[in-house]
Amino acid sequence: MYSGEANGARQALLPAGLQDVLYPDAANEAAIVEKLIRHVSRHGYERVKPPLIEFEDSLLAGPGGQVSDQTFRLMDPISQRMMGLRADMTPQVARVAISRLAQEPRPLRLCYAGEVLRVRGSQLRPERQFTQVGVELIGSSASRADAEAVFLAADALLALGVEELSVDLSLPTLVGRVFEALELPDSMQQDLRAALDRKDSAAVQQSAGTHAALFDGLLRASGLAEEALERIEKLPLPAAVRGEVERLVQVIGEVRAMNPGLVMTVDCVDHRGFEYQTGLSFTLFASGVRGELGRGGRYDAPRGEVEGEPAIGFTLFMDSVLRALPGPSQGRRLFLPVDADGAAATAYRAAGWVTVAALDDRIDPRSEALRLNCTHILVGNKIEELED
Amino acid sequence: MPMGEGAVPQTQPLVLAVPKGRILEELVPLLSAVGIKPEDAFSDESSRQLRFRTNLPEIEVVRVRSFDVATFVAFGAAHLGVAGNDVLMEFDYPEIYAPVDLDIGHCRLSVAEPQSLKKSDDPARWSHIRVATKYPSVTRQHFAARGVQAECIKLNGAMELAPALGLCRRIVDLVSTGSTLAANNLVEVETIADVTSKLIVNRAALKTRPKALSGWIDRFREAVDAI
Repeated sequence: MYSGEANGARQALLPAGLQDVLYPDAANEAAIVEKLIRHVSRHGYERVKPPLIEFEDSLLAGPGGQVSDQTFRLMDPISQRMMGLRADMTPQVARVAISRLAQEPRPLRLCYAGEVLRVRGSQLRPERQFTQVGVELIGSSASRADAEAVFLAADALLALGVEELSVDLSLPTLVGRVFEALELPDSMQQDLRAALDRKDSAAVQQSAGTHAALFDGLLRASGLAEEALERIEKLPLPAAVRGEVERLVQVIGEVRAMNPGLVMTVDCVDHRGFEYQTGLSFTLFASGVRGELGRGGRYDAPRGEVEGEPAIGFTLFMDSVLRALPGPSQGRRLFLPVDADGAAATAYRAAGWVTVAALDDRIDPRSEALRLNCTHILVGNKIEELED
Repeated sequence: MPMGEGAVPQTQPLVLAVPKGRILEELVPLLSAVGIKPEDAFSDESSRQLRFRTNLPEIEVVRVRSFDVATFVAFGAAHLGVAGNDVLMEFDYPEIYAPVDLDIGHCRLSVAEPQSLKKSDDPARWSHIRVATKYPSVTRQHFAARGVQAECIKLNGAMELAPALGLCRRIVDLVSTGSTLAANNLVEVETIADVTSKLIVNRAALKTRPKALSGWIDRFREAVDAI
């Protein structure tokens, strides 16, 4: 009714990065979220649902602090305290785990699905509101926990039918620890970091001075996992980071045992977007899909003043996941004329049919059925296919 | 033999985005050194064609404006590209890796102003200046780093005209020989960055097709080292 009217068009305009998701996409997204949740639930992950808005100081404590500048804030008129609208669900789930579920046995496996809102979209994800689906595995620092998270993220996406999936494993804290161990001056660290971020090997060699071979080696120790590991193990790494590399080798071995065909790559110098991660992290890509399908990694779930609990988890970004899947297909719809057999219609619905009932008996049922995008019509208690 | 024996052919050909204009001449020999020979129309500047086949079925070349090379690669519409670090600095896309300096397209990104202004001007007293440029982001950052607010007027070409016509007194632009500046009575007062062309790669493409992409990176690196 409003289409075309200047008035309606003005009302239809949404703020940047926000959109109305229509049919069949809305139903498709919901169905895929449910499939993902069902998949991770079968691995023992229990669903939790934190609120959309929390007090700012608890939302942004610990890992949440990294998304502070992406968080919308509003004043709670009741408590007169500042509240934040979640920009990421991981910090909320970590908070639940270490507060209300503190007494539950560890390791604690939690999963969640929900919408997040961000102040700004990014180049590749202009959406300011999108759906996250994720899991958190809290209270274990075992390599098997890392392997479970990597395997489960990939397995859930493969089960959906994502093709040409690849998992990129990284150690976002590695380069920083190498800097520390070698006691490199700040200016040199900045130049090296910029060169490593661009994967510019000439610039790395230029700014690394006497450590050129080491940092260029780290840069080149990337690509398919097993090949990259061979190259990493030959590098003269400081003793302080040996443990991290050993963990990477161990986890890749364990994931390989669970899914021998999985495409895994390694990137020793990637750290952007892993600001709260404290160890092994990973990013999920699918060939031909721009941006990431999801990411995960180790972090500390903070316990106030006390030392945090070790945790690992991953988050899938539904907008990217949907881009990696074939679009929804409009299913069969059965038109029920006004005089249709009610019992038959009920039976067909139970068998999975979608029915659309006529409301007006003055209109020819067949043309009305076609007008309402039905593919079939109920005649007596029999279904007939409609032809255009 | 670019793909190497036994390599699995990928379903989608890789797209290499290259900039139109002056770099093309230097780029063609480099492409041929790595084994890429685009069809004849590619070297014909007057051709309206935008996509070009090559001697390799797995590589396709597109020819776009230099700034658009970075955009195509950042969004994964092209997997590989050739872009100057002027463009990379201006956009700073985290989705772009720049693994190889191709050692072509040498020039510099500089601040220039009229000869007459240079004599009377004292940069230490600036708090605000107005600059005509194709690089507003780099320009703002460059001046902000020393406490000067730069108001940028975005132009897409013929920057040298701006001071003469009173649009503003300073410009930030690419300079190679300096003859265009001299012809317009401008002098280079400061270099912001030395510019060369880089081989750039889309991040997701490198992760999902590591064999093919790192193969091309190595081949370009070898070709540059051999020259």
